[in-house]
Amino acid sequence: MGKKTETNRSYRDRNASVTVSVSFMVHLICVLGLAIAFWVAQNVYSINLVSDPTQTLILLWVVESPIVILLYSLLRRNPEQCSYLKAVGRGIVGLPIGALLMAFGAVILGAPIGIQYLEKTVNWSLLMSLFTVVPTACVFGSSWEDWQRLFAYTKPVEVLDYIICVPAHGAVIGTWLGAWPMPLDWERPWQEWPVCVSYGAVAGYLLGILASLAFMLVFGGRRQHLKGE
Amino acid sequence: MSSSSSSLTCARLATWTIVAVLLQILGLLLFVLGFFPVKPALSGVSGPESYRSPMSNSMEDHEHINQLSPYQRRSLYKEMSEIPPSFDRLILMVVDGLPAEFVLGKGDQPPTKAMMDAMPYTQSLLSHGTAIGYHAKAAPPTVTMPRLKAMVSGAIGGFLDVAFNFNTQAFLDDNLLGQFLNIGWKMVMLGDETWIKLFPGLFTRHDGVSSFYVKDTIEVDHNVSRHLGAELVANDWNLLILHYLGLDHVGHIGGRSSILMIPKLKEMDEVIKTIHMSSVLPQDPSHERTLLVVLSDHGMTENGNHGGSSYEETDSLALFIGLGSKIPDYASATRNAAFQVDIAPTLALLFGVPIPKNNIGVLMGETFDSLTDDQRLRALELNSWQLLRLLQAQLPGLLCGNFPCNGFNDAQCSEIDAHRVNIEKKFYCLFSKAATLHRSWVSQEGRSFCSTNTDDFRRTVAAYNEFLRTANEWLSRRATDKPPELLAPGIATMVVSCVTLLSILFRLCKEVYLREKQHLFGSDNCKYKWHLDEVFALVVIVILVFSMGSSSMVEEEQYIWHFLTSTLYLIFLRKAIQSPSAGATSSLLNVIKRQKFSYNSRACSIIFVLICGRVLRGWHQGGVNWVHLPDISKWLEQIDARIIKSIQIVSVFCVISLSSLALYLLKLKSRVVLVVQLSLFLSGLLVVMHIMEYHGQTFAPSNYSSTLIAQIFYAILGSTVMLTVLQAPWVLPISDGETHVNTESHSVTSFSINIQMNSPLLALRYSLYLIGWTYTVCWCLLQLLLQQPINAMPVLLLFFQILGTILYFSVGGTHDKQWVEVAALYFLGMAGHFGLGNSNTLATIDVAGAFIGISSHSTLLAGVVMFMITLASPLLFLLSMVIYISMKDASYLLFSHNGNIGHLLQMMIGFPCLVPLALNSVMLTAFTIVLVLMRNHLFVWSVFSPKYLYVCATTVCVYVGVLVVALTGIYTSSVFFFRKRMLSSMENGTSTKLKQ
Repeated sequence: MGKKTETNRSYRDRNASVTVSVSFMVHLICVLGLAIAFWVAQNVYSINLVSDPTQTLILLWVVESPIVILLYSLLRRNPEQCSYLKAVGRGIVGLPIGALLMAFGAVILGAPIGIQYLEKTVNWSLLMSLFTVVPTACVFGSSWEDWQRLFAYTKPVEVLDYIICVPAHGAVIGTWLGAWPMPLDWERPWQEWPVCVSYGAVAGYLLGILASLAFMLVFGGRRQHLKGE
Repeated sequence: MSSSSSSLTCARLATWTIVAVLLQILGLLLFVLGFFPVKPALSGVSGPESYRSPMSNSMEDHEHINQLSPYQRRSLYKEMSEIPPSFDRLILMVVDGLPAEFVLGKGDQPPTKAMMDAMPYTQSLLSHGTAIGYHAKAAPPTVTMPRLKAMVSGAIGGFLDVAFNFNTQAFLDDNLLGQFLNIGWKMVMLGDETWIKLFPGLFTRHDGVSSFYVKDTIEVDHNVSRHLGAELVANDWNLLILHYLGLDHVGHIGGRSSILMIPKLKEMDEVIKTIHMSSVLPQDPSHERTLLVVLSDHGMTENGNHGGSSYEETDSLALFIGLGSKIPDYASATRNAAFQVDIAPTLALLFGVPIPKNNIGVLMGETFDSLTDDQRLRALELNSWQLLRLLQAQLPGLLCGNFPCNGFNDAQCSEIDAHRVNIEKKFYCLFSKAATLHRSWVSQEGRSFCSTNTDDFRRTVAAYNEFLRTANEWLSRRATDKPPELLAPGIATMVVSCVTLLSILFRLCKEVYLREKQHLFGSDNCKYKWHLDEVFALVVIVILVFSMGSSSMVEEEQYIWHFLTSTLYLIFLRKAIQSPSAGATSSLLNVIKRQKFSYNSRACSIIFVLICGRVLRGWHQGGVNWVHLPDISKWLEQIDARIIKSIQIVSVFCVISLSSLALYLLKLKSRVVLVVQLSLFLSGLLVVMHIMEYHGQTFAPSNYSSTLIAQIFYAILGSTVMLTVLQAPWVLPISDGETHVNTESHSVTSFSINIQMNSPLLALRYSLYLIGWTYTVCWCLLQLLLQQPINAMPVLLLFFQILGTILYFSVGGTHDKQWVEVAALYFLGMAGHFGLGNSNTLATIDVAGAFIGISSHSTLLAGVVMFMITLASPLLFLLSMVIYISMKDASYLLFSHNGNIGHLLQMMIGFPCLVPLALNSVMLTAFTIVLVLMRNHLFVWSVFSPKYLYVCATTVCVYVGVLVVALTGIYTSSVFFFRKRMLSSMENGTSTKLKQ
């Protein structure tokens, strides 16, 4: 903990916005939001991803989206030049755009196309967008260099980068791995699109959050420390 | 090879590659020969000739026999066989999956108390001596269809026999049911519909049940038994087949000790009782004599599975109820061992029909006890003759009869046995011994009717049995053995070749990397950095190898290829949106100009390739489990045939116009280019004509004019390719230092050609570009002609994918590792293979297309065309490697611009040849090992072996493709170097002249 406070101090000196503890809180709230959404789905509406994927996914993204947009807008880059509302607006715009990107990626990788799948794909991609694109949109807006650094090069530099980049990659990789059981002939209901993929995405997101925290403690802290000196 | 003399490294590379490939071919041959033994089978159906000795060469007119009516035929058989049929009717009751242990016990032990109690009636039959049971050992694979075939034909089919009549599931070999039909029997079939698939149209009445719903144990059997009463009363049939699936289903659900097992056995016992009471027992002379045979096709393991070769699975039952003779005691009624194939000759002889031609079984001696001695010997003799004919087919020297063997010399026979000299000699000896004994017994019997010759009789029977058992063992070993002395060296050789190829590839990678470093930084001590796409390409290979071990993954392989290939291309996309890379190769002038352009075009071309890939995947719902789901091809076929036709024509014109554009972009006013363009256009027109013709007469696709069009098309295509390959390197203008500037302006404006004009090897790349386009376009046109109409669009999409990929790579400069690029092309080819509707079952092979443009019925030609249709996509991508080579500027890797031909070849065709070979060898070796590990798997014949055939075909395809690429590269660059030398010597000559 001593190291952490030291990091915080050195970080604050650099007039940067985010500390490890703040990021921890952000992650915690996001995870809690997800958990609450799952809990509500299970206990209030008594549905889950397997029994009613569409409704559950709607519930998930409706609960999660205000949390993510409002939280990450707090962490926006250059708070002096960019108002909170603007960041929120970026997040709201980013949500459908990201969903489009995610849906494109999923369809390219073989997601089924058809009227009966449309609803599921849309809701799933909105959730994926919340995991990946929306935080970045809130924080960095349309700064192409930052997007490129985070997603084309995967070179997170500061704590903020880790908060956004690692869970997003985790969600994408989790989704990719979650698609593997789909073609198998086990005849289980969860093999349907997008059930196992959503599970994979959530699991990957959670693991990504854990990994990002670990990264921040190990690398981020050290790097900030060095820079502080 | 010209390359071998010029450079040591190149020569070594080529030599090692060739050695590795030869080793691979050798290993593959050894393995295939070991794993899929091909035994020569006799064609045709046994007829009256089977009642004559194979030694006598008397031939009678066969037409006469073929014209016989069934009843004439029946009496002819009766007369010739000298054995009056003991029965008129046969009831074949097949209890699927019933282990013989349940009825007969294991070894010396009677069955358990519970089992005895479950089948009281059957047990009483056994103990009263009215039934005799056999442990009829089944051969693997212990699954229903091959076992039914073995029971009715007495032959053990190899896998390749199955593979080669993939057209039909109908059983065409000589078999009991066919023989019964020939003598005019009426047959009724109730139960498993496999019989109906095997013998379509054979049954007078049938009620098939599907074995699909394994969970159902009641209805499947009720469905059979509900007809039983009516059928037993009816007397219009001679053969009644009852196939009960319930017991197998019980096993699949709960294993041998399932609580459902005892009730199920009781039910079977009731059925046996009903049949026995109503049909077999009444023996008044007016009534037809009926034999009830209870069979099981295979046993089951403790868990209820089957397919393998364990004792539990192969221990199947053959129970004869109602034979005339009385069995002395319970032990001799239950402790008999035989083989499943023995059922066929036994039933054939009991019912007076010829033994099926490829039978390897031996009659079950005890079932003939009610016959007279001479009839029993005659039965043995007939069985021996039939086996002798089969042996003769496999050992052509057998009946030449020039062995120094006196026949009945015991000592000599055993001596032969001891020395294991000559298998033919041994068989001949054993047979002639038995035959001689038989003859002497017959002559003795003619002289005196005293009983002194029982000893002789026993000796004769023993001699026959020895011959029959020896022949049976030898024949069945030939059919099922997987000799480890072939398999092990085969696998070892393949592994060695795979390792060799991989290490060559690795060394080439290292060398190229070092050169690159030297070229770029002037130092060679940089650490190697792995990029994501390289790592993922390796991951793809690993995943593919592991996915081969799962039968579901093999069945649905198309998803894996598409998923992995698309992911790889998404990674390329990610790379493409990284900041515009200053292609290290590009000359300074081009860098600035083209940066923005290349940046966008790279991303766009990748997205284009990805979208094409997705459409391709949606075109055919391949695989096994999800075939019924809707896809684009089904949708189009439903709408209208005219739409498909117009898509075909549009595809042809797209291919033609794209090729014209590409050749136009060369900006070469050479006559060759013009000729190529013209002939491609002409071929395209011919394809369109063929399409119109084909659709005009859908029902007669092989009519004269369309065949003629196809043949003209083949001729034009062939001559175009030959002309281009041979002529292009000679006639295209060879560039030297001065001409660069003039040509530069053209290429910069072009969108697809990225031939950098300051390259010293411009002419070489020009000609490779031309040849590559000719190859690719010709192949596309050929496929548009050959493939099913619905596949026209996928062929076009594959063509687009090639263009997009090559465009992406050619703009990329050194940013990507060359091996990843070639691997990506190869992966695309394999994904496209499934996009064209292929799968890992043999059912998807397009047989109809194999006869387009072939006027005579030639199996070889049709096979070649079928190969081209099936492996269209991998070959297309291998051929497109030539374009890739021409577009990829690797010349900077040479030490000097005038470097020797060896270096050039190594850099140019090293990767495009080695990477497919290495990838394929990894797949081949891995799947070979998987196949050996899975040899007892339930799906080895239905899933893994067909897949292995595809893997072998892909290997051949890779060899062909790589050979074409390598030969083209070698020929073109040798011509180039030759011309260059001529040019420089001429220049030298002129300059010296000037000096003088």
